[in-house]
Amino acid sequence: MISPFPKSSSVPGEGHLIAKLLPQGTSGLETFKYQYPLKLITPLRPSETESTLVYLLSYGGGLVAGDHVNLKVDVRSQAKLSMVTRGHTKVFTTTSPEIVTRQEMRVSIASEGALCLLPDPVQPFAGSVYEQKQVFRMEEDASLCLLDWVTQGRIARGENWSFVRWIGRNEIWTAPPDEGDGEAKLEKDRLLVRDTVKLDSDKPHPELPLLRDSMHGAAVMGTLLLKGPLMKSLGEFFLAEFATLPRIGARDFRSEAAKQAAEMAKMSPREKWRAERLVMERENKLLWTAAKVRGCVVVKFGARSVEAGRLWVGSMLQEEGSISSHFGDHALICVQ
Amino acid sequence: MTIDSIQDQVFSHPKSETDLENEIAELERKLATAKAKLSPHNPLRCRQPPKDASPEQPLSTPNLSHHYHLLLSDSALPLGSFAFSSGLESYLAHGHKSDPYHPHTSFAAFLPLSISSYASTTLPFVLSAHRDPSLSNLVSLDDTQDASIICTVGRRASIAQGRALLGIWERSFSLTFPSSPRQPAAVGDLKEFARLVKRSSSKEIPDASAHLAPLFGAVCSVVGLTLQQTAYMFLFGHVKALVSAAVRAGMFGPYQAQKVLAGATVQELITEMIKREWDTVVENAGQNVPVMDLWFGRHEVLYSRIFNS
Repeated sequence: MISPFPKSSSVPGEGHLIAKLLPQGTSGLETFKYQYPLKLITPLRPSETESTLVYLLSYGGGLVAGDHVNLKVDVRSQAKLSMVTRGHTKVFTTTSPEIVTRQEMRVSIASEGALCLLPDPVQPFAGSVYEQKQVFRMEEDASLCLLDWVTQGRIARGENWSFVRWIGRNEIWTAPPDEGDGEAKLEKDRLLVRDTVKLDSDKPHPELPLLRDSMHGAAVMGTLLLKGPLMKSLGEFFLAEFATLPRIGARDFRSEAAKQAAEMAKMSPREKWRAERLVMERENKLLWTAAKVRGCVVVKFGARSVEAGRLWVGSMLQEEGSISSHFGDHALICVQ
Repeated sequence: MTIDSIQDQVFSHPKSETDLENEIAELERKLATAKAKLSPHNPLRCRQPPKDASPEQPLSTPNLSHHYHLLLSDSALPLGSFAFSSGLESYLAHGHKSDPYHPHTSFAAFLPLSISSYASTTLPFVLSAHRDPSLSNLVSLDDTQDASIICTVGRRASIAQGRALLGIWERSFSLTFPSSPRQPAAVGDLKEFARLVKRSSSKEIPDASAHLAPLFGAVCSVVGLTLQQTAYMFLFGHVKALVSAAVRAGMFGPYQAQKVLAGATVQELITEMIKREWDTVVENAGQNVPVMDLWFGRHEVLYSRIFNS
């Protein structure tokens, strides 16, 4: 008997998302497919319409050893897609270092399309082996905001970078527009940025520190990648804030009274925000840096606690405001 | 089968000349197979230098690769390495007594981290360029490394030293380098690469930037250094620059500096790192000490600076 249902050709962990611009001018989903252990959810009645929101989840809130998640995302011209998670992506302990848990995401963003990927951090448990690869192919005038961060593990259980291996790789490629119908492209794709972090508990020489010691007290390490016209002002904001950081090793020779007098003087709201942020950065030992790399802005940060890292990213993104105005506040739920 | 046993067989059972020839051919085939097993990807291969027939004799002809080995490893090679501290200066500035995680800074703690991080991010580019110094590979490695250095300070250091090396090759070495029948194409490729660097320097994303690592690998390959020598010299050059930066930052004096350089720790670390990265393809090169990226990048916000990185 012929089955009335469409034949399933899906492989475990595979998923495919296509976001497109709907006739009424808002973004919507054209394709929405996923297979266990990957799970995708989109709100039926979204409260905000700046971008389509998709929750990227896994059954049981984590990935067990040997799980392979392979998600393909296409953002069509002028469509805007936001992707978030609900809680840390846990990576469970493996029974053997050969069994690797993998997440792979391949994203294409068409001209004037935009993707905002601000998930919760990945939380690798003691003894886990994890490899993640996210590749973004972007046509001209496509925009991307990507946050990728990893934590030390479960502090309640005394975990402190106690996994076997964690590898995260993010790549941004230019993609010349497809001339359609399988014709060979005139130009080749070009790698713009490749950011790879390889954390390995292997210690090939006794003089090398343990992985946790080489992290110098950081509980979370993160990377924010920004590219495209919608992220231009946010990128410039990070570069400008980095340039105004107080010089390390500079000394303040003013008396306490003079300092207070200066504080009493009228500060603009931005200056006030900055002063508060700098206090927070000092207290949480939050170190960060921003650089312009081949048309993209790369921000790196590390903090003494996961919450401090979250607060800091959230504060930066909210103060500048581009993410809320282009993607809606729902894009920011993981960094609030 | 030992030589003696072969001789025994030969003498006890006289064979026809054809038999002997067959046997020689068979032994030669076995030798070739055994040699092939020592593939160029085997890190052990270059450990043992080929035995000279008579090491007591003076050289009858100049040893070109030996000469270039000394030349390229010389601290006086004007690469400008003295201008860079590879994050050491920033690392020192970030240490603070009140910080429980980073209470005191020491060169002994920074050195292994720095070698490991430099090998993890950069050595695969040197190795790949040495294995294939062709123009297309050099351009592709250079562009890939330009995309992989995600920090302004690190990029500046890599390009400054790479351009200096390219300049030395163009203006000095290539003019006196004997046209070797082994690598004529590679010499031409380096010339073409230099032209490409000059042509594209005004572009927003240049076609070629001349990063140090791939260029170093290609130049060493052209002058006949082995892969092992090249990798060792590259990492040792990094250690020499760090040690010299430490001396100038007042961390220790010149005798301590030579002690560090001569010490077994540096030798073992370099050897272990080469072993670790020997088969790493450039696609898998990456940062294994993330805090190094932070120190490197934050060199820009130091109040006072002696170095460019």
